[in-house]
Amino acid sequence: MVLHHHIYLHTGGRTQTNLQHPIMTWISKSVTGLGLVLLAHACYSANEHSALNALSTASLSSTTSHSISMPSVASLPLDISIETVVAIFTVCLGLVLGTPELRPIEWRVWAGKIEREGEKGFMNGSGEVDVGYIGNPFKMLESRPGFVDIRKQRKDFAEWVREGGSVEVGSKK
Amino acid sequence: MRTEQELQISPVVQESVIHNTKVLVTLRNLTASLFGIGAGILGLESYPGFIFYVVFSLLTSALVYALRVQPALARDPSGDAGITRFFKGSWELWTGGIFEGLSGFVLTWTLFYGLVRA
Repeated sequence: MVLHHHIYLHTGGRTQTNLQHPIMTWISKSVTGLGLVLLAHACYSANEHSALNALSTASLSSTTSHSISMPSVASLPLDISIETVVAIFTVCLGLVLGTPELRPIEWRVWAGKIEREGEKGFMNGSGEVDVGYIGNPFKMLESRPGFVDIRKQRKDFAEWVREGGSVEVGSKK
Repeated sequence: MRTEQELQISPVVQESVIHNTKVLVTLRNLTASLFGIGAGILGLESYPGFIFYVVFSLLTSALVYALRVQPALARDPSGDAGITRFFKGSWELWTGGIFEGLSGFVLTWTLFYGLVRA
């Protein structure tokens, strides 16, 4: 006999849809890519700006006899600064969208989530179940064998002995 | 911080704690290098650079709160309604991993500062 323990930690047995669709990772990757393109553009622009600035400073100092102590690094144009900040924010957003779901640390909330969602709640971005997923924490209780009926076994054994049981008889049975 | 008795009453799943911390630290490390690139392009020096890092790190935490913590809380109203469902304290979300990311930030900051202003 197998004792069946069904432990429902949360009675509200709503089934919930998969949280991390593959489309979510697609969105996250494209947002990150867009941000990286913007960032590369901003970086290139800043580099060009500083190169141009250095060039004009050099020609200025060569034409005028007394070198004006211009700062070699002029402040960045506003549009490049804005582009940089927007690019960083975009990449950041993409990275945050790409992070796996957080897991509840309290045992009861966590076990309730497993009970309700099963493996679906613990998938990573590419739709595979996470390596750390251990499933129902009470699996051991739900599938443990029942008690051994020792009296019945003794009776069976006594019967077998009474019938003059030998190894052959026992194996025939 | 939870007391011994509270931990006995409502036990904590250690694997989940490790998972959440790992997620946050990975994100912090990635974004720290990114912020370094930004600070280098903007040509920040001295304190403004570090302020830039702190501000954007807090922004990242806010994004995590808005996109990861808040939807999960809304989906499952049972249990703790707050950051304490996923982290031991709200400080762990806002400031956890900031100092681990700082070295990566300074690395890319100096690199891109030098690259852009060659």
